[in-house]
Amino acid sequence: MSAVLLWAGDEDGSPTQALAHPSKSPSRRSQPGALPPEIEQAIWRGCDLGKQLGSVVSTGFAALDAELPGHGWPCQSLTEVLSPQPSVLEWRLVGPALRSVVAAGGSVVVVGPPKHPHLPGLRHAGIDEKHLVWVQADAPAERLWCTEQLVKGNACGALIAWLPQARPEQIRRLQVCAQACEGPVFLFRPAAAQHESSAAPLRVMAAFGLDWELQVHVLKRRGPMHEGVVHLASIPGGLSAVLTPRLLQPSALIASRESFRVNPPEVSPHALGGTAPSQRPRRHTTIR
Amino acid sequence: MLWAALLLPNGPAATPPSDDALRGLAIWALQFTPRVAVSGEAVLLEVEASVRLFGGKRALRDRVVQEGADQGVNAVAWATTSLGAHALARAGIENGFKRPLEVLLDGLPMRVLTAVGPHHATLARLGCQTLGDIRRLPRGGISRRFDKGLLGAMDRAYGLQPEAHEWVELPDTFEARLELMSRVESAPALLFGARRLLLQLCGWLAARHSGTTAFTLRWAHDAMRNKDAGEGGALTIRTAAPTRNLEHLCRLLAENLAKVELLAPVGDLQLLADEVVSFDEKSASLLPDESQTGESLQLILERIAARLGPDRVLRPVLTEDHRLEWMQMWQPAPQPLPRRPSEPVDMPQPTWVLPQPLKLATRGPRPMYQGVLLLLTGPHRVEGGWWHRLGEGDEAITAQVQRDYWVALSEHAGVLWIFNERLAGDETAWYLHGVFA
Repeated sequence: MSAVLLWAGDEDGSPTQALAHPSKSPSRRSQPGALPPEIEQAIWRGCDLGKQLGSVVSTGFAALDAELPGHGWPCQSLTEVLSPQPSVLEWRLVGPALRSVVAAGGSVVVVGPPKHPHLPGLRHAGIDEKHLVWVQADAPAERLWCTEQLVKGNACGALIAWLPQARPEQIRRLQVCAQACEGPVFLFRPAAAQHESSAAPLRVMAAFGLDWELQVHVLKRRGPMHEGVVHLASIPGGLSAVLTPRLLQPSALIASRESFRVNPPEVSPHALGGTAPSQRPRRHTTIR
Repeated sequence: MLWAALLLPNGPAATPPSDDALRGLAIWALQFTPRVAVSGEAVLLEVEASVRLFGGKRALRDRVVQEGADQGVNAVAWATTSLGAHALARAGIENGFKRPLEVLLDGLPMRVLTAVGPHHATLARLGCQTLGDIRRLPRGGISRRFDKGLLGAMDRAYGLQPEAHEWVELPDTFEARLELMSRVESAPALLFGARRLLLQLCGWLAARHSGTTAFTLRWAHDAMRNKDAGEGGALTIRTAAPTRNLEHLCRLLAENLAKVELLAPVGDLQLLADEVVSFDEKSASLLPDESQTGESLQLILERIAARLGPDRVLRPVLTEDHRLEWMQMWQPAPQPLPRRPSEPVDMPQPTWVLPQPLKLATRGPRPMYQGVLLLLTGPHRVEGGWWHRLGEGDEAITAQVQRDYWVALSEHAGVLWIFNERLAGDETAWYLHGVFA
């Protein structure tokens, strides 16, 4: 403290004067309130993101990278992804990161997924048959055991596990094991789990948005609270090649359908996309 | 010369240890040195030349003592002669290098040398109690009054005469038996005995520089068994890659034994190596290689498959078909994938599929799934499969499909892959088949 006072006094006579007339101070230390750059770098402020100690895998979304400590999904620790419904957005959210994991030769192991993975679609996310393993674990104890074995073994490039019923102490145990695991470990859990405490250092809440986007809110991270929602543009499964500009805004289509339902026209549309018997002329009316 | 003597305990009625047990221990010991001999109730091994390979005398001693204890060895001794080591082991002294061997041996009671046995009573009446007392008797007198075996054994023990041994040879096939100490009634408890056999198997494999890909554990039921329980049972365990890692083999066996139910108490175990493959070992290098902590993925998946069942750890294989159900197959993970990868598909495809298409309710012409769906693009016609017959005999059906796939959007359930199929007559039905997630 005394050093700061001396320093301010040397420059301009008295500290109060220095604060009142900052422009008068010499340019080498331009403002008494500002710190020299070398000290500035060494100071951690509460509003800064924390530093990730281990390595990270980029999420593939620049906007999400900016919100995560270390700018990516962390390795050597758990990442919890909470979503209101299972099997709605998993591959869209982690797919870009898995692409780089597979490109580096790592295997992706999925434990207890809610539906069957479909490789032809996953190939659009860069995953091929050599690098995908599906562990069909159904009972909660089996899921936990398999996840723990894979995390402890530290042999898979990325681990994705669905643990809808895991308890906080079980997550803590996994997190301790994961500190020796060099790949990212994703745990997909229901949104209701946000009210439980969790030992995972990174927790995100992900929801699906109508206009080909994912809405991600970081619930817990090393750093300040995350406010608001990050919108990530994502078109799954090679659909980008077939979407017309009109279809890129499905929310507008839904809105027009709602107004259509309120004021229906005289002739109602018929046989939307139906497979008409072959002897009848085939009609495809506008799809709303 | 660095000799180790490993002593097996006597049986319950002071019977000497069985030949099977001695032989098993000798086979296990062959991984340390080719110079292994069986003498009386002890296995003797000469390890001078192997000290560096196993990381120094202390590391070698620790390993022999620790693994030997798993094999049931109750006394170990080290000395410069085999008879000396044997005698020290009987007397319960482990380290024969602490003092000169003569000093140590002189203080031991006479009975520690087998050759003294026939003359024990005579020597005791002469006033001898220790080996030192015998050594102080005049040599000429001993050789005249007793047979020459006594003097020869004394000289060999003290290192005055060379020793000759009949070395144990490594058998070409591995087969080890173990009689259990007590009757075992639950299968997981067999692991305790099986671990001893596995340790022998690993020693045998190490001596042959190979690994196993399949081994069989057989158990024989107790003589007091129920009539319909049968003679015993067997369990064959296969590994994907040749291995002689004791811990891995034990864990595989434990997972498999956990599923076995014994029909009767078991008294006898037998372990056979069915398939043995020679494999390249990593050489111990001066500079550390890039460190691989943890196990390989294959080992972990094998262990998971042992617990969950082999058809629950799966890898995908793409097949050339355009019907969604047959576009890929799942096969157990250890099986090799086809060498030729199939052509990539560039059509939109969902990332999740349902095992069975789910019939959707409709509101008017629109399909519903968690609300009315908005059809985005389509139709994508998938038709064919008349050549594909499912089932056998009269119940065979053709896997013919005729579907119009659409990409549909639900406000809650995401982007869906649904199809419309014609039913009998003019009716059509909507099905949910996949999710773009």
